[in-house]
Amino acid sequence: MAEPIITVKNLTKVYRVPERAPGLSASIRGLFKPKFQDVEAVTDINFTIQPGEMVGLIGPNGAGKTTTLKMLSGLLYPTHGEAKVADFTPWDREPEYLQRISMVMGNRSAMNWDIPPLDSFRVLSKIYKVPQDQYQRTLDELISLLDMEALLKKPVRNLSLGERMKCELVAGLLYHPDVLFLDEPTLGLDVAMQRRLRIFLKQYNQQHQVTVILTSHYMADVSALCERVMLIHHGGLIFDGALQELADKLAPFKLVKLQFTTPPSNLEGFLTQFSTVEYLPSENGHHILRVARSDVPKVTAEILSNLPVADLSVEDPPIEAVIDQIYEEGKV
Amino acid sequence: MNHQGGWELIKNTWQSWLQHRGFFFLLAFGWMLPLLVYLMIWSAAASEGSLTGLSQDTLAGYYLVLVLVNQLTYATTNWTVGDNIRMGQISRWLIQPMSPLYHALSSEIAGKVVFMLFSVPVTAVLALIFRPQFNLSWQQSLLFLPSIVLAWALRFFWGYWLALLAFWATRADSLLALQDTMIFLLGGHLAPIRLLPNWMQSLAKILPFRYMSAFPVEILTGFLDKNEIFSGLLIQLGWTITAYLLYRLVWIRGVRHYEAVGG
Repeated sequence: MAEPIITVKNLTKVYRVPERAPGLSASIRGLFKPKFQDVEAVTDINFTIQPGEMVGLIGPNGAGKTTTLKMLSGLLYPTHGEAKVADFTPWDREPEYLQRISMVMGNRSAMNWDIPPLDSFRVLSKIYKVPQDQYQRTLDELISLLDMEALLKKPVRNLSLGERMKCELVAGLLYHPDVLFLDEPTLGLDVAMQRRLRIFLKQYNQQHQVTVILTSHYMADVSALCERVMLIHHGGLIFDGALQELADKLAPFKLVKLQFTTPPSNLEGFLTQFSTVEYLPSENGHHILRVARSDVPKVTAEILSNLPVADLSVEDPPIEAVIDQIYEEGKV
Repeated sequence: MNHQGGWELIKNTWQSWLQHRGFFFLLAFGWMLPLLVYLMIWSAAASEGSLTGLSQDTLAGYYLVLVLVNQLTYATTNWTVGDNIRMGQISRWLIQPMSPLYHALSSEIAGKVVFMLFSVPVTAVLALIFRPQFNLSWQQSLLFLPSIVLAWALRFFWGYWLALLAFWATRADSLLALQDTMIFLLGGHLAPIRLLPNWMQSLAKILPFRYMSAFPVEILTGFLDKNEIFSGLLIQLGWTITAYLLYRLVWIRGVRHYEAVGG
């Protein structure tokens, strides 16, 4: 295996958060004797990432995803622990390091809103010292990949959210970074635009072998792009592996969806013969059964031979439901 | 250092500011107005001859030059520094391979150009009305150049280090308002410094505020003799270096403290 491009050891960040009761008198007391509370945002996390990998960093709000990305991009000093990205310590923020990474945030803009994107791109190309011919080539490539010719001459403030996100991606990739941190890149975008950005990211990653860490609340992003996911909860890394493995581990069952030609009189009674089958409330005429993986063939055979089945399908539980379960239970 | 990127940024900021030139012209007009009011008050007071050696036309020269010097040295940028820190916008700049100081400098320089587009013609018209008089030698007008550059640098870095206190206190910009008030009182706005009571004059000569605005004007309008100019330049240089060092200190500690709020 090649040398990892990102190595993280015992990385921990504790925030000191001022704490204050509501009300005027409390705020005056706070002036003289401020109280602080230590909040552990990230606790002792360890991982390595190989060049060219696309890794999804998932977890509920406030789990420590963004804090982790901020430490890796050099914005935050950790409380303790180490990290090496492309042989640099991120929070030294050496220009040579910043030249090689990019952070695209769905909720923060790198563009100047008053002027057309092309002008902002030119400034960024100078800041990142991209040679003129290379700049033109990269720009042409990105513009055609993202199909955004028409946006280039309008001021950024007149662009839609999705159009702006395309610009943010161009701004983040103009200088060919080796490592790309994507913090909620599809935040607030419609489904079609999300899909286009995912296709773009996949293509770009394949062509340029850029290493990507992606955070997103849309599991569709993660399952489309990342073979590997890291799950953070309460600041700790509780799972690191293939997304499918996570799903199998958590959800050792499949969903069997049924439709009948005539409604069976005693479906629930019929199902009591299987100990591992759970009947879920039916959704608009579909009956859904939760069946342990190993019992699926037996159960479906029994149903098909005994009940008036019009349609039967076997599906994996939606990844959202799986993730929701972890967020609720806090463990894998 | 990354001058190429900085220069490109300046050009761009300038373009974006020109889009809002109406707003900036109004701002420039607003800053001009109080100085013109004081000009009229002091000219009325000097109508009977002269006021401690200042005639109406020298006062007119003083205030008209002050209008321009004030706008050249006023660091509007510093008012937005605190917001950029508080709202986390500075995160963007911190991960670029260029000092975030360039972002402040670019809007400074861009702003000066936009303000001057308004102020120079307006002051020229006012000069036709008030008919100012200058008694200066060419040496003095040469010394005006370093003094105005230092005045700008001092006023900018002084405000910048105050604004950077936003890393710790969320509303550090009230300190900028205090700086403005001190310049109003001791920086030759309310009255030319030589019209102030003695104790205020001595205070003005020690503190940095006169060197942010009135000092270059006093040189150009011939208020000062050679010794006063040279000792003034030394004090001005000393304060500018102090302000710069304070900026470096606050910046280095502030960035470490920065919690990168907001997403």
